[in-house]
Amino acid sequence: MKLLSRFVVILAAWAALSMSAAWAEIGQIKNVTGQVFLLRNNVQQRAKAGDLVEQADVLTTGPDGSVGITFIDNSRFSAGPNSRIELTQFRFDPTTQEGEFTTDVKHGTLAIVSGQMAKRSPDAMKVITPTTILGVRGTTFAVKVDE
Amino acid sequence: MLPRPTVLFRNRLAVLMALLVTGCSSTKTFVVLLPEESGAPSAVTVGQGTQTTVLDTPMTGATVDGSGNIEKAAVTPVEVQKIFGAALAAQPPKSITFILYFATASSDVTPESRPALDALFAEVAKREAVEVQVTGHTDRVGTQADNDRLSLERAQAIRDMLIQRGIKATFIRAVGRGDREPLVPTPAGQPEPKNRRVEVTVR
Repeated sequence: MKLLSRFVVILAAWAALSMSAAWAEIGQIKNVTGQVFLLRNNVQQRAKAGDLVEQADVLTTGPDGSVGITFIDNSRFSAGPNSRIELTQFRFDPTTQEGEFTTDVKHGTLAIVSGQMAKRSPDAMKVITPTTILGVRGTTFAVKVDE
Repeated sequence: MLPRPTVLFRNRLAVLMALLVTGCSSTKTFVVLLPEESGAPSAVTVGQGTQTTVLDTPMTGATVDGSGNIEKAAVTPVEVQKIFGAALAAQPPKSITFILYFATASSDVTPESRPALDALFAEVAKREAVEVQVTGHTDRVGTQADNDRLSLERAQAIRDMLIQRGIKATFIRAVGRGDREPLVPTPAGQPEPKNRRVEVTVR
């Protein structure tokens, strides 16, 4: 009986772990042109279409690079060449459609079509650049940061 | 005839250039509000504290310098294309939802839904990287347990058809919602063809 309860605890812990692993993804890279890199936990890899992205991931593009990403709230990002885009914070509840989405654009160009989160709450989505903060009120826009 | 720059002048020029490159005064942000596909009203707020503005007219841009000063100006489509052409060309396609209807108490798609099913397959096939969410539903005939099972079977039937067509299974999630989310609200026990359905979102 004791063994069984221990087994149940382990099973529950494993289920919780695998659940959190399933929820780590916040979006997917839909297309890649030229050199695009994905930096996660200090490890940099070539990004490719189909890669899943997570909170705190950093995307960089080379002089000929561009990348398109769709997030789980249906927000769509696309970055042009010589860009550094940091997915600083992402939290989304698919049921209530509430959450927080903060992106840092360090340099380069980024076009955004906002999704369910910005539609639900006007303060949910922010873009931070070295000189300003943008608040997204359900919208299509583009931002460029020159160093 | 211009005099040749002296060595001293050239050195000063170099220092000035270095200051321009390293100083943060040259850092600036340019943001432009683009037209909405749906034509719905949209806006972006720019800045914080005392220096703020709102962009709420499409094709209006704002430049924010290193001191937070904001300058608003109209932007032409040619300028947008020149600055953001590469980024805009990489924009992923928007997600699309298909609704497929089913025969009573079965996981067979109705003949009327065949064209929608074909459209779903075509949409999935033309996308480079795709995630598919398949959610099954039932009408309110039968027990909740039976409907939970039936709604999942309907979702799995669609998922299996997608897998047979070679889509990567990792990105297909099939769930059943039973009779909890009717498209048409009905009393319990009432048959309703519009509620016997699977909703497939292609992202």
